Amino acid sequence: MNWVEILLGFFVLLGGVFMLVGSIGLARLPDFYMRLHAPTKATTLGVGALLIASMMFFTIQDGAFSIHEILVTIFLFITAPVSAHMMAKSAVHVKTRIAKDTQGLAVRDAAEKRNNPLL
Amino acid sequence: MGLFWIPLLPLLGTVVPLLSSRFGRSFLALFTAIPPLLALLLLLQLAPSVFNGEVIYQSFDWIPLAGLSLTFRLDGLALLFALLILGIGLLVILYARYYLSAKDNMGLFYAYLILFMTAMLGIVLSGNLIQLWLFWELTSISSFLLISFWSHKSEARKGARMALTITGAGGLALLAGLLLVGKIVGSFDLSVVLASGDLLRQHAAYPVVLVLVLLGAFTKSAQFPFHFWLPHAMAAPTPVSAYLHSATMVKAGIFLMARFYPVLAGTELWFLIVSMTGLITLLLGAYVALFKHDLKGLLAYSTISHLGLITLLLGMNTQLSTVAAVFHIINHAIFKASLFMAAGIIDHESGTRDMRRLNGLWKYMPHTATLAMVAAASMAGVPLLNGFLSKEMFFAETLDQVTLGSLSWMVPVLATLGAVFSVAYSARFIHDVFFNGEPVDLPKTPHEPPRYMKVPVEILVALCLLLGIFPGVIVGPLLALASTSVLGGELPYYSLSIWHGFNLPLLMSFLAMLGGLIIYHNRRHLFRFQSQFPEPDAKLIFEWLVQRLVRLCSAIIDKLENGSLQRYVFLLLLAALVLMAGPMIDLNATLGHQSSMPVDTVSLIGALLLAAGAIATVILNRRRLVSLLTLSVVGLIVSLAFARFSAPDLALTQLSVEVVTMILLLLALFFLPQSTPKESNPRRLVRDLSLAGLIGGVIGTINYAMITRPLDSISGFFLENSKTGGGGTNVVNVILVDFRGMDTFGEVAVLGIAALGIFKLIVHMRLYMPSTDGNGLPWSPDRHPMMLAIVSQSLLPLALLVSVYIFLRGHNQPGGGFIAGLITSVAIIQQYIAHGVDWIKERLRINYQWMVASGLLIAGLTGIGSWFFGRPFLTSWFDYFSLPWVGKFELASAMVFDLGVYLTVVGATLLILANLGKLTTSHSPAAKENN
Repeated sequence: MNWVEILLGFFVLLGGVFMLVGSIGLARLPDFYMRLHAPTKATTLGVGALLIASMMFFTIQDGAFSIHEILVTIFLFITAPVSAHMMAKSAVHVKTRIAKDTQGLAVRDAAEKRNNPLL
Repeated sequence: MGLFWIPLLPLLGTVVPLLSSRFGRSFLALFTAIPPLLALLLLLQLAPSVFNGEVIYQSFDWIPLAGLSLTFRLDGLALLFALLILGIGLLVILYARYYLSAKDNMGLFYAYLILFMTAMLGIVLSGNLIQLWLFWELTSISSFLLISFWSHKSEARKGARMALTITGAGGLALLAGLLLVGKIVGSFDLSVVLASGDLLRQHAAYPVVLVLVLLGAFTKSAQFPFHFWLPHAMAAPTPVSAYLHSATMVKAGIFLMARFYPVLAGTELWFLIVSMTGLITLLLGAYVALFKHDLKGLLAYSTISHLGLITLLLGMNTQLSTVAAVFHIINHAIFKASLFMAAGIIDHESGTRDMRRLNGLWKYMPHTATLAMVAAASMAGVPLLNGFLSKEMFFAETLDQVTLGSLSWMVPVLATLGAVFSVAYSARFIHDVFFNGEPVDLPKTPHEPPRYMKVPVEILVALCLLLGIFPGVIVGPLLALASTSVLGGELPYYSLSIWHGFNLPLLMSFLAMLGGLIIYHNRRHLFRFQSQFPEPDAKLIFEWLVQRLVRLCSAIIDKLENGSLQRYVFLLLLAALVLMAGPMIDLNATLGHQSSMPVDTVSLIGALLLAAGAIATVILNRRRLVSLLTLSVVGLIVSLAFARFSAPDLALTQLSVEVVTMILLLLALFFLPQSTPKESNPRRLVRDLSLAGLIGGVIGTINYAMITRPLDSISGFFLENSKTGGGGTNVVNVILVDFRGMDTFGEVAVLGIAALGIFKLIVHMRLYMPSTDGNGLPWSPDRHPMMLAIVSQSLLPLALLVSVYIFLRGHNQPGGGFIAGLITSVAIIQQYIAHGVDWIKERLRINYQWMVASGLLIAGLTGIGSWFFGRPFLTSWFDYFSLPWVGKFELASAMVFDLGVYLTVVGATLLILANLGKLTTSHSPAAKENN
């Protein structure tokens, strides 16, 4: 077992831990806005760590720099925030239930007002 | 070898009248006559070798695998019929020139007529049974067009429908019979079939074959009980009646019987069916003809009667009777065609065909009257005319009958009775129309027709006389030749002279003359007697039957197709279960011999997730979006399974299809009711659950049985030849674009057609658009959020880059046109979602229909391209090139084909999705209506 394998193992484990935490968060957190937080972090950080591991593995195995993962990362980093944003917008629109310790409701109200000027 | 040209020339000639209708009516008729005339000359030029005993034969491969070839065969019988068809056809063309009025579309009429001529020539010259049947049906169709030529008349339409139904149904019976013949003999080639008479007659299926073939012949030749369509076909223009209903189409059935005489005749069954049908038809037709007041009605029933006579002769099983049958075919065609033409002239010049009003026309049109009288006398069998000769032969043959045992004396007596009525109606035709007082209340003052309208009648009447006086010289050789090919061997001795001395047939003729005239003289009593019977109108009965049938069918269809998708699925699955259960019971063991793979945790979890997703979809089916999510779990797991079991191409395809399907479902759900009502009662639940369980069990068993058995497939061949033969290392792609390129071409064509079909369905659709969601919440006013729009737009080039990459690498690594097409579609749909239809419409000016079409065109042209190199359709070409900086790379024609696939997929997907999406915009018909 050399240092590359240790490093690879570290990134795989790191990604796994982030994913696990994200999944637990999705299941346990009390309301929509909080739950939105957990999986988006899991995708960015968890998948990011796994992609680094994958890039290292294929670069060493094939002897050529592996470029796929960078592309995947770009796509992911562009799309994940937008989908989170869209979900949040929908939540504002349909007025999901809010737990009592959710913070920053002022932002939500502002967004709602801008969405629907008639209110 | 010009035989092939004889039916082909008229076929090409069908377009001549359509093209030349602007040159005026005389030139139109002239040009129309040229192809048949050429064909006739060609036929005459071939005739000498046929007279020398040769059978001219010409054959082209058509579908050799199915034993089908385009074969033409000219023997004596075919020569006789072809001469009749072309000769009388030419006369009818001349006649129709004067018969049709300026209002009629003459070019169209001639086109139909020539098409019919082609079909008839095809029947008589066919050397292949299936080909014969094809032309047989073509005569039914073209006669339908001809009978309904005056389609503004209700009786023409009804008559045409009736003729088509009866002859078409008979044609189907004939097809069944011919297929059986082909099965028994092992070939559809006429020469082979004609040589295997004994084989057929001794086969157990002979009665079935005989009945089926005779059904075809009897319906076409208007034999009892199928005779009723012929009188109603008289609604056709008279040239059609003269051609189809005297000389050609109704003789097709007779021709069929004569053609198959060597193989099907000679048995007790043949005698019984054919002669009895002929006898009944002969008597019925002759009797009814007398009571018809319509000139053409009389001739129609007389035709039925004469066809019965020929059928009777063919059924008599003596060789001489067959010669008499062939002779009467010639005679009847000649005198009946001229009589129809004369009747047409009378109708044309006096405005009516009602014999109660037509009287004393002798004074007005002596020339036509003379011609008609000679032809009618021939029909009655007056000596020195051709009708007399064949009737004498007929009488002589009836005397020799022994097959009915002690009742055989009835045949000549009934034959004489038929002849009595034949004389009576001929007498009526002559006396009622041309003498018998003055015309009653005619629409026009009758006068002689134009000079050339009489020419065809004159020619035919002259033939009647010539044949009647010098039979041996004029028709002897042709008759002998045709009879030889019917009998298939030596001819019996017969004499064609007029005078055979005082004998029984002459006495019968004399009795018939006398009896006929007596009956005609006392016709008032007979008419009064007949008027006691109600006269059933075949048209009404037929219509009633058709309506009943239609009602029955729609009742059944309403039961099956009531618009409930659940019911369709239920019936479909039930049918599948019934079909699959049988073979499954025969399969003894479920488990095969293939050793199973070890179970690993990942696969197990995947399988559990798959099952859970499927079950959750069923349970949550009333919560639409949730069940859509669980459904997508199923799709994702399936694509993961593909990736796991070494099918990356399938995994990629499944993934892209999944995305597109989800968008499609979301769009569809928008228009469906927002909440699914609970409608299943417990009984239905049990029914559906048990059916689903059974189907699942059967499919599972099939799969299990399949995967546990060693698979002997051609995969090995594909793997070995993929690189060397198709130039690609991605075997899946090489199979798609090369090995099975034709399949792919067919599939993308189906995809394109389906997309066009869906487009056609939804393009003018008016749907109810809900303004709120299921909970009554209005849709968000922010339809196209800016962040989504901007990011989607910037993603488009990246996504297109990916699809190009996937497309290009497809030949060697997972990818290809299909997947790339789906990725492009998804990328563009993303723009539709983010920006809306209106925004895209201004920027993306692509006509998706054209895209589908050009994709198919490219794929097809690539395939055709290989023909120029002498290779079969869709053989791919590839080679390696090198360019500076780029290095070595491969070019393959398969790539162009794949481009076609790509374009079709993109076009089809977007045609469906973009148009479904368009329904929600302000441009949709529904929105316009609301405004």
